[in-house]
Amino acid sequence: MSDTTSRSARFFSNVLAVAYKEATELRHDQAFLGVVLVQPIVMLFLFGWALSNEPANVPWALLDQSRTPASRRFVEAVQSTGYFLPPTPVASSAAGRALLKRGQAVAFLTIPPEFRRAIERGGPRVQVQLDGTDPISAARIGGYFSQIGAAFDTGRLAADAPPLDLRQRFLFNPTLRDRDFFLAALAGMLLTNLCLSATSLSIVGERENGTYEHMLASPTTAIEIVLGKLAPHVVVSYAVLFLAILGTGLVFGIWPRGSLLALCVVTLPFVLASLSVGVFVSTLASTSAQAVFVSVFFILPSFVLSGAMISYQLMPPGVREIGALVPLRWYQLAQRRIIERGADLGEIMVPLLVLCAMFGAMMLLIRWRMKPRLG
Amino acid sequence: MSWQRLITLIRREMRATLRDPFTIISLVAVPLAALLIFGFTISTEVQRLHLGVRDECQTAASRRLLADLRADGSFRLQPMASRAAVERALVTGAISAALIIPPTFDRALREGSAGAAAAQVQILYDGAETVVAGNAEGSLRGLISASVAGLRAAAPRPPGADAAAPAGVEVVARVLFNPTLDGVPYMVAGTFGFVLTFLTTLITAVSIVNERLQGTFEQLQVTPATALEIFLGKVLPLGGVFAIDVVLMVLVAGLVMQVWPNGSALFFIVVSSFYVLTSLAMGLIISATSGTAAEAVQKTVLTSIPLVQLSGFAFPLRNMPVPVQWLAELFPATHYIRVSRAVYLRGAGPLDLLPELALLAFFGALLVAGALRTMGSRA
Repeated sequence: MSDTTSRSARFFSNVLAVAYKEATELRHDQAFLGVVLVQPIVMLFLFGWALSNEPANVPWALLDQSRTPASRRFVEAVQSTGYFLPPTPVASSAAGRALLKRGQAVAFLTIPPEFRRAIERGGPRVQVQLDGTDPISAARIGGYFSQIGAAFDTGRLAADAPPLDLRQRFLFNPTLRDRDFFLAALAGMLLTNLCLSATSLSIVGERENGTYEHMLASPTTAIEIVLGKLAPHVVVSYAVLFLAILGTGLVFGIWPRGSLLALCVVTLPFVLASLSVGVFVSTLASTSAQAVFVSVFFILPSFVLSGAMISYQLMPPGVREIGALVPLRWYQLAQRRIIERGADLGEIMVPLLVLCAMFGAMMLLIRWRMKPRLG
Repeated sequence: MSWQRLITLIRREMRATLRDPFTIISLVAVPLAALLIFGFTISTEVQRLHLGVRDECQTAASRRLLADLRADGSFRLQPMASRAAVERALVTGAISAALIIPPTFDRALREGSAGAAAAQVQILYDGAETVVAGNAEGSLRGLISASVAGLRAAAPRPPGADAAAPAGVEVVARVLFNPTLDGVPYMVAGTFGFVLTFLTTLITAVSIVNERLQGTFEQLQVTPATALEIFLGKVLPLGGVFAIDVVLMVLVAGLVMQVWPNGSALFFIVVSSFYVLTSLAMGLIISATSGTAAEAVQKTVLTSIPLVQLSGFAFPLRNMPVPVQWLAELFPATHYIRVSRAVYLRGAGPLDLLPELALLAFFGALLVAGALRTMGSRA
């Protein structure tokens, strides 16, 4: 009994000793502190303000062959949606197509000569040609034109009863604002960046400086060294988490709707898993440049495939499963549930357990990688 | 300038680059992985999206509606036991949308005539995933309207309720250049910009910082070789390697992902090879200001964040606020990605792209001049 307590006491004191050494080094790393403070601000503005999937400033071409008050009213209806720039009038169909081809217009609206007569007789139609290069924008802009057409008052009433009363509601984010989507995952992206860049140099750096051998010569085990190296970064990570929550709340008025406690709980295994991915990369690399290089090519796919920046539900099956291998996938799932949909601890159990399992698996891998070199 | 010296320098650089297996692996693996991963990330299609259904009507008509939805294949239907279960599933993200058919659906459909209440269904979307909700809305609305129209046509109609032309203006839409609104070509064309900016800058920066650390770069500078010769000796072999990378990517995109340029492939490869010079010059400048290789990589990564987010690679530029758009115009990558998409998707030729090409040439000249200055300076 006393043997086990003294062993665990030694374990903790060893971990703490390494943590203290690591924290002292961290405090003197100006570049690291700069990145920790600057990055959240840059990302907050990028995702809160600059980036959006919602069409805006759409350039479009107009061929109005009708030239009647009715056709002008239709053009005004397009303008009043606010998504479009003033139209570029063109004289012919070929001129409109040329603008589309050069990318100077995304949509080309043709109002036929018989437009006004068709309104009186029934069945008026207009033609829209869209640049399908950017499919998401094209689909949305096409949708706007259809809605404008359907809502256009032709002075005729539908004779039939409304065929269907479709009651639609968008929960959690009624106007489908992209900002809410991006910012919910902000802390996840920041922490992925931070954790990987913090620890990917840890082991290989010590090896390059020759201090690795010193640590091995001391009575600490490999796992104690690794845990000691992770501990100070966990503290920094929580500081970044609160910075992200406060920034999102104060600047954009988006506060977490669910349990803050749950958010703090799920952050721990995520941070540990991400840090240990960095340590693992560090044990694989033979130079520090390689370590940073590999971690960069882990971070970028993490952002894209996890669903933090782009919804993973829209990706084809094989790609979806690759994304499930990165910790950020599970953390952003938990973040969206808590921040956007107001979930509490009980509703994020699956991501929480997966993240814990990922941390455990990474620790086993690290132990396996560090063992042969200890001999 | 001496040709002999230049050839010696080029040979030396080739040997140094090809000696390191890590560099060779990254030169081949990163572009191909980027193509395959980024290529499939955006889509306007809804595929097997989880749709919670709560059929409170339980009649032939409501079952028919659900069967129509199931047959389409865009949605995976999940029956829900109660409205509370629907809400819970939406919160956990188990379903992306929910369809509720109220008990009155069948009756309203049968009695449907002018003046009567329309058949009602409710749909709840998970707005937390904005793009998914938007796509699902478009596709569900169409599917349900079509299915209900079919049901109504089958139902006996009270006299006097003829089908009439719908109100409003019919908008006939035609999509050019990419009629199926496939996301793959858009992302493939953008990935060229990503790889040729990011990977090239990174590899160049690291290779030169390493030389500086080993002292071999200073040795080069004290030889009779001029700054221009050292620059060309670095850039030509690396540029050649990346030009091969461009060809490799065009082939993989075409053979594996069925995306070939609509415009001239030769024109695209030529423009891309020139663009590589811009990135190489950028890598030289970054390496000149970095003390260690790790620092050079970190600097490249910091410059790559705006590259990925603001160059139009992932998000259209025109959706951004105007000052950000101006900022984005200052990145060469923005212009290259624009050219790449124009050639790949719209089949544009050199004449359609003159202003963009001129800007690319201008940025290239600026960066090469900057790189030459750092080459000449002796640390």
